Amino acid sequence: MLDHTADVGFELEAPTLEALFDAAREGLLEILMQRPPRSGSEERVVELSARDLEALMVRWINELVYLVQTAGFVPARADITVSGQGGKRSLRARLAGEPLDPEAHGWLGEVKSATFHGLCVEAGDGGWRARVILDV
Amino acid sequence: MGVTMNFEQVSGYKYRIPRTGKMRTDAVFYASEEILKDLAAENYASLRQICNVATLTGIVEPALTMPDIHWGYGFPIGGVAAFDPDEGGVVSPGGVGFDINCGVRLLTAPLGREDIARRSKELADALYGAVPSGVGSVRKDVRFGRKDLRQIMERGPEWLVGRGYGREEDLEYIESRGRLPDADPDHVSDRAYERGLKQLGTLGSGNHFLEVQYVDEIYDEEAAGAYGLSEGQVTVLIHTGSRGLGHQVCQEYVELFLEAAPEYGIELVDRQLAAAPIESPEGRAYLGAMSAAANFAFANRQLITHFTREAFESAGLGDGLRVLYDLAHNNAKFEEHGGRKVLVHRKGATRAFGPGNPEVPARYRSAGQPVLVPGDMGRYSFVLAGTEGSMRETFGSSAHGAGRKLSRKKAKKAAKGRNIIREMERLGILVRAASRATVDEEMSEAYKDAAGVVEATHAAGIGRKVARLRPLIVVKG
Repeated sequence: MLDHTADVGFELEAPTLEALFDAAREGLLEILMQRPPRSGSEERVVELSARDLEALMVRWINELVYLVQTAGFVPARADITVSGQGGKRSLRARLAGEPLDPEAHGWLGEVKSATFHGLCVEAGDGGWRARVILDV
Repeated sequence: MGVTMNFEQVSGYKYRIPRTGKMRTDAVFYASEEILKDLAAENYASLRQICNVATLTGIVEPALTMPDIHWGYGFPIGGVAAFDPDEGGVVSPGGVGFDINCGVRLLTAPLGREDIARRSKELADALYGAVPSGVGSVRKDVRFGRKDLRQIMERGPEWLVGRGYGREEDLEYIESRGRLPDADPDHVSDRAYERGLKQLGTLGSGNHFLEVQYVDEIYDEEAAGAYGLSEGQVTVLIHTGSRGLGHQVCQEYVELFLEAAPEYGIELVDRQLAAAPIESPEGRAYLGAMSAAANFAFANRQLITHFTREAFESAGLGDGLRVLYDLAHNNAKFEEHGGRKVLVHRKGATRAFGPGNPEVPARYRSAGQPVLVPGDMGRYSFVLAGTEGSMRETFGSSAHGAGRKLSRKKAKKAAKGRNIIREMERLGILVRAASRATVDEEMSEAYKDAAGVVEATHAAGIGRKVARLRPLIVVKG
């Protein structure tokens, strides 16, 4: 977790791209709530595409912010596939979760958006790394 | 080892960073000794950000930051930058921020501090009940449809007043009467509509709040008189913006502009500065959507004003709340400065038009436009007035707040084992909040002393101190 005076963010490492995007979901939930659910019976499918992995990461986080804060659905688990190359990258996620319960989940506060500032998604030593700053 | 930054002192509180590298103009910042130390302690990260802003096409001399400068993503908070549409000037969603028209509205009550004292618990509960403040929290009895939302984005608070949510005279005391003429809801996406419909009339969380306060000190009797402020008087300060609707608009246009910028030959030193020419289809579309979101934010504060009046009435305190002023501190607007029309971006900065300006309500015109500077929930907020200095030097802009001193994590750590709500109660301040974590993060000591910002603003001549307000009741998300 990055700890800046004005904003918050996270640095992630994962063996695969799919695990990296899932780690971003977990990181976001940690910022939003103290006790994110670990499972849920409600299902949703999310399909997104963007011109590169970094824009895809921003879209993914913003989609999750929308799902939690507007649709009231907390994605407790995700089964993610990332595909495509070069000018078009796509993500498909099957989400399982439950309705947002601010009290039970220990709501911490809203996130406005993921930003492009200082953003990076890159292949590293045997895996993937990402750095994302959020406006809260 | 510390990083150096090349700047020179122009006068007591004014500094200039000469144009260098890709910068198209100089950058100017305002700081006291104390603020200068804070800037050095962060290795001049926010000053580097204003230098980045100075690289954008069509910027009008100089790029500026106000005394409450702090690091933001892309544009620094406290940043002011004007662009000339006739010289290829750009518009940048990052220069407005995700929370389009985040702003403050100050109400005055025909009541004294002692009138509130007897009913403060009742009033705190009534406000917390009337103004939705937590995530997903809404008033089930006040709902709007998609057609209504379209009207609200076009016409702002005026539409709500026509439906009984406020009074005709409220409109006179809102910046631009709460209606930016470029608003075009056709450039607002379905997703943004959906988010707006669920959040109109809600406060949100983080640093947003509603406070009942009293006037603790008057610095300028004449301006205070014009604004209708007197010592001991009760006021209400509302701080919120365009909620998810504005966030969505900004997100979509940052992405669009990232793709459009290279097509217009715009080189970006930071992707969050994504920009397009004002006079381009993308630029015009953003201005239409951004203005629609800004009108929504003015309407949001209008509806919260209506709820606040209801709460005062239900607590037996009457419905005499008057709008002193409502202003945006995240915005981009066409204005005339130095004889030419420019688009002024203010990100965490307040429009501060000086005495005599026709945009200032007639009643306040001799004093200058009210400038509202919220502090933190334990100490105070300030009312200032726009000056001739702000018109001459800062495209009619001034400071907007205190700025954080502690990160959210550090604030939580400092609050561990303490009951901040009880501590506030001992100071005579009642807190009602949806989340205790928010209160911990927003505790007084997590913020810089707003007085430091206000003193520097006043001494630099880009705002004039009028009054100080102390909190009595705080409602948070």
